[in-house]
Amino acid sequence: MLIEFKVNAKQYKMDVCPTMRLLDLLREELRLTGTKEGCGEGECGSCTVIMEGKAVNSCLVLAPQICGKEIITVEGLADDRELDLLQQKFMEHSAVECGFCTPGMLMSAKALLMKNPHPTDEEIRTAIAGNLCRCAGYSKIVAAIKDAADA
Amino acid sequence: MSKEFKYVGNTFPCDDAVRKVTGDLAYGCDMQLPNMLHAKLLLSSIPHGIVKNIDTSKAEKVPGVIKIFSHLNAPDKMFSSYRIIPGQKMCFADEPLFANRVRYVGDRVAAVVATSLVAAREAVSLIDIDYEELPALLTPEEALKNEEVKIQPWGNLAHEYAVDVGELSPAAEDCITMESETQTQRAHHGAIEPHGCLAYCDTAGKLTVWTPTQSVYGARTVMAEFFDMNYSDVRVIKVPMGGSFGGKQEFLFEAVTSFMAMETKRPVKLILDREECIIHTKVRPAVKSRIKTTVTKSGKLQELIADSTLNSGAYSGATPDYATTLSQKVCRLYRIPHYKHTGRAVYTNTARAGGFRGWGAPEIITAVEVHMDQVAKKLEMDPVEFRLKNLVHPYDMDPVTNISLGDARVIECLEKGVEAFHWKERYNSQQEQGRYRRGIGVACGAHKNGMYGGFVDCTTMLLKMNEDGSLNLNASIHDVGCGIGTVMKIIVAEVLDVDPDLITVTEADTELTGYDPGVYGSRVTYVVGACAKKTAEMLKSQILDNAAVIMNKPKEYLRVENGHVVTSGEAEQRTLSYKEIAEKSIQENYTSLSAAYTHHSTSNPGSYSVQFAEVLVDTITGLTSVTDFLAVCDVGRAINRGMIEGQFQGAAQMGIGYALSEEVKYNAQGQPLNNSFTNYHMLTAKDMPDAKVLLIEHEGDDGPFGAKSVGEISNVPTAAAVINAVNDALGTFLTDMPLTPEKILVALNK
Repeated sequence: MLIEFKVNAKQYKMDVCPTMRLLDLLREELRLTGTKEGCGEGECGSCTVIMEGKAVNSCLVLAPQICGKEIITVEGLADDRELDLLQQKFMEHSAVECGFCTPGMLMSAKALLMKNPHPTDEEIRTAIAGNLCRCAGYSKIVAAIKDAADA
Repeated sequence: MSKEFKYVGNTFPCDDAVRKVTGDLAYGCDMQLPNMLHAKLLLSSIPHGIVKNIDTSKAEKVPGVIKIFSHLNAPDKMFSSYRIIPGQKMCFADEPLFANRVRYVGDRVAAVVATSLVAAREAVSLIDIDYEELPALLTPEEALKNEEVKIQPWGNLAHEYAVDVGELSPAAEDCITMESETQTQRAHHGAIEPHGCLAYCDTAGKLTVWTPTQSVYGARTVMAEFFDMNYSDVRVIKVPMGGSFGGKQEFLFEAVTSFMAMETKRPVKLILDREECIIHTKVRPAVKSRIKTTVTKSGKLQELIADSTLNSGAYSGATPDYATTLSQKVCRLYRIPHYKHTGRAVYTNTARAGGFRGWGAPEIITAVEVHMDQVAKKLEMDPVEFRLKNLVHPYDMDPVTNISLGDARVIECLEKGVEAFHWKERYNSQQEQGRYRRGIGVACGAHKNGMYGGFVDCTTMLLKMNEDGSLNLNASIHDVGCGIGTVMKIIVAEVLDVDPDLITVTEADTELTGYDPGVYGSRVTYVVGACAKKTAEMLKSQILDNAAVIMNKPKEYLRVENGHVVTSGEAEQRTLSYKEIAEKSIQENYTSLSAAYTHHSTSNPGSYSVQFAEVLVDTITGLTSVTDFLAVCDVGRAINRGMIEGQFQGAAQMGIGYALSEEVKYNAQGQPLNNSFTNYHMLTAKDMPDAKVLLIEHEGDDGPFGAKSVGEISNVPTAAAVINAVNDALGTFLTDMPLTPEKILVALNK
C-alpha cells in the first residue's frame, strides 16, 4: 500500500507491505540503521523512535500506522554535524558504553525533554524505564539527561 | 598518589562515542554486502532425540529461498566452539554444524539461506522435522543417576576436579562448624545486541568473517581447523560489539555461517533474534555448591571444604575449564589453613553453558559469602568483623595457583566501605517489624588480572607516528563496549605527553593486526594495556633518538613535553614538535618512527571489590528492591575514571538481577520458560538504585601505571551483598537463587 510520511524532516512516499514493521522500514528501506533491534517485542527499547512527539517502539508499529505522520530517528538528532545537547551530554557523562541501547535511550530522553524540559530524576527514570541498558546501570544516563535538561 | 598524571585517571568518552550517539556506527547487524543472503536457523523443539526425517519440500517453494542446510548436506565433523589455540587443553570437539541428534530445546537442526530474512523466516516455519524422542535429563542429578542415557557418547560427566591445599591443624580453642548449600541459576548475558556474524568466501578461496567476537584469532583457529584451510586464508575482522559479558566469547556461529557462505558462494549474514539468543547461545552455568567451614569461636577460619556441581548443558564448550576455575577463587579472597574443593561439570539436556562475566567467581563467591554471613551470625559477630579476621593481605600467596596476590587491598576496601556506607550505625539500628523490612548486606569478591599461570597471555602491537605527529596504534583490540581502545589511547597519550585525540587505535583483524588471544580473564587493561605502555615507551625512545640527531644534542638532555621534544641544560631552551621530528626522521634520517612489541604477562595479582547493599522487602508481595548500593574496588590505578564507574554501575544492574530476578528456567518437559525479555527480567532504570562507586588506588602491581582489572571483579560480590541484605531483613538463610517474590513468600510463611 502507498503511504506518505516524514522521517527526520524529509518527506517520503512509499509503497509498502502492510505487515512491514516501522523498524524494518527504517532499517531496510531507508537504511537508517541507527535504530536497533534488540528483542522485537517492545521490551528492550533499542528501536525507540519519536512518532508525532511521542517515544514509540518501532518494532511494534506497522508501516501503515505512520501514514501522514512525522518520525524522528537518532539520525535526525544532530543538526548537520552539530550534535544535539543530549548527545553531547551522553558523551560527557560516560553514558555511552557499547552503544547499542544508546539510540533508543536518546530518543526516549528527547521525547521526554520535548514535552517536559525540566524533569525530575524520577520522571527521567520513568521515561527510560522501557529502555534496557546492560552496560552502564542507568545512573550515568540519568545524569546526562538531567544535565542536558538543566543546561 | 605517587605521581600527577595528565590523562590517566581522567574521564574520556569511549573513542567511538560520536558514532554511537549519531547512530552512524555500523554493528554486524547493520552491515550489508552486495549479493548478500540472509540465514535463519531452525532450532530443536524437543530436549533430546534423534532427527529421523527433515521435510523441506514446502520450504523450498518459498520465493527467495536459495538453499536449506541440515546434517544431511553438511560435514559431520565436530568442533569445539571454545578453542582459541590449536593445541588447547580441555577443549572437546563435540559440536556439529547441524545436529542429527538434538540435545536441548534450541539445538541447531537446520538453516535456510534466502534473499531476504522474511523469506528465510517463512521457509524455516515450513520445515517439518520428525524426531525420535529420547529421555531428557534436565539436572546434573538426573544425568548422573541415569547413566544409561548418554547425552554425549562418553557419558554425562563432562569433567571432574579436586583441589586440596594446606592442612587442618588442631585449633588452640573451640571451633564451630557451619554447612550450607547454595544453588546459583542459569542466567542470560542480556547483551542488547543479538548474536550473529557475516561471512564471505571469495572466488580465490579466501574466507572473510565479520563478527563481534571476543577473539578474532580464536575464531580463525576454529574455522581454519574445521575447513582445513591455511590460517592465513581465514580473515576474521572484529566489528563493533553491542555488549558481550562472555556471551560472545565462544565461536558459535562463525563456522556455520562460513559454511553456508562457501556453499552458496555469496555473502551470508546470520543475526539471531532474542529468543534464539536466550535458548540457543550460552548461559551462565547453574552451579550447586555445598560448603562446610570450621571456624574458631574467636572467628578464625580453620578449614573450608567445598563441593560444586556445574550444569554444562548439552555440550562441553568452556565448561570443563569453567568448573575448575570455581576452585581457584576462594583462596584469592580468604586465608584458609585447609582448603579442599571437589567438583564436576555435568551434561544435561538444557541450554549450553559457557563463559559469563566473572567466570565462576560470581557462582562460588556468592555461595561462600552467603555462607560467611551465616557463620558470623552463629558466632554472634558483625559480618564485617568476621571477614576482617580472615581476608587475604597484600602479597599473600594464593596456595591453589602458587601465584602472588600482589598488592591485594581487600581489607582496605572493606574498611573504607564500612565508613562510606555507615555500616556500623546501620547494622546496629533496630530492625523494622512492619510490612516492609529493611536489611543491609556486605560481600567481598576477588578476581584476577589476565591468564598468567594458566594460558597464553601475550599480545603484539605496532605504534607509528605519522609525519604530522598523529599516531596509529595497530593492535588486536576487541572492544566489548567499555571503551578498550580509549584505555589504550590514554596510556599512549600519557607516555608520549600527547593529546589522545591524535591517536587512532585499530580493532582486531587477523590479516592486519598482531596476535592477541582475546578478551578474557580480565586481561585487557593489565596485559594489553601494559603492552601499549611499553610500545609507547619504545616509540618515545625513538623520538628522542631522532630528535637528538636533528637537534644535535645528546638524548640525555632531551625530554618530551606536550607533543614536543625540549632540551634542557641550555641557556635557551629549544623545542621541536613531534610533527617536525617525524617529518625530518623520514627525510633526513631515513627512518620512520614506529615501534613494535610483544608483551607477555609475568604476574597475576588479585583485583578486589567489596560491595554493600540495602534492601527493602515487601513481606506481602515478596518483592525486594535495592534502595542503596556501594561498590568499593581496588583498581590499582584508574585509567578512565568515568567508564570505570560505569562498569560498577552496570555490574550492579547485572548482579542485582542475578540475586533477585534473572533466570532461564525449564519446565519438567525440558522447555525453557524464560525465552524473551517479557519473562526474563532484567532491571530497568526504575528498579535500580543510584549505585555509588569508591575506588582504591595504590599502583602496587605490574599493570600500566599500576592499573588492575575492573570488568569482571565489579560483578563478583554483587549478588551475595544483595542476598545477605535480604537474609538480614528477614532473618532467613535463603540460598536458592534468584530470590524471587515466590521464594521469599514461601520462606516467610514457614
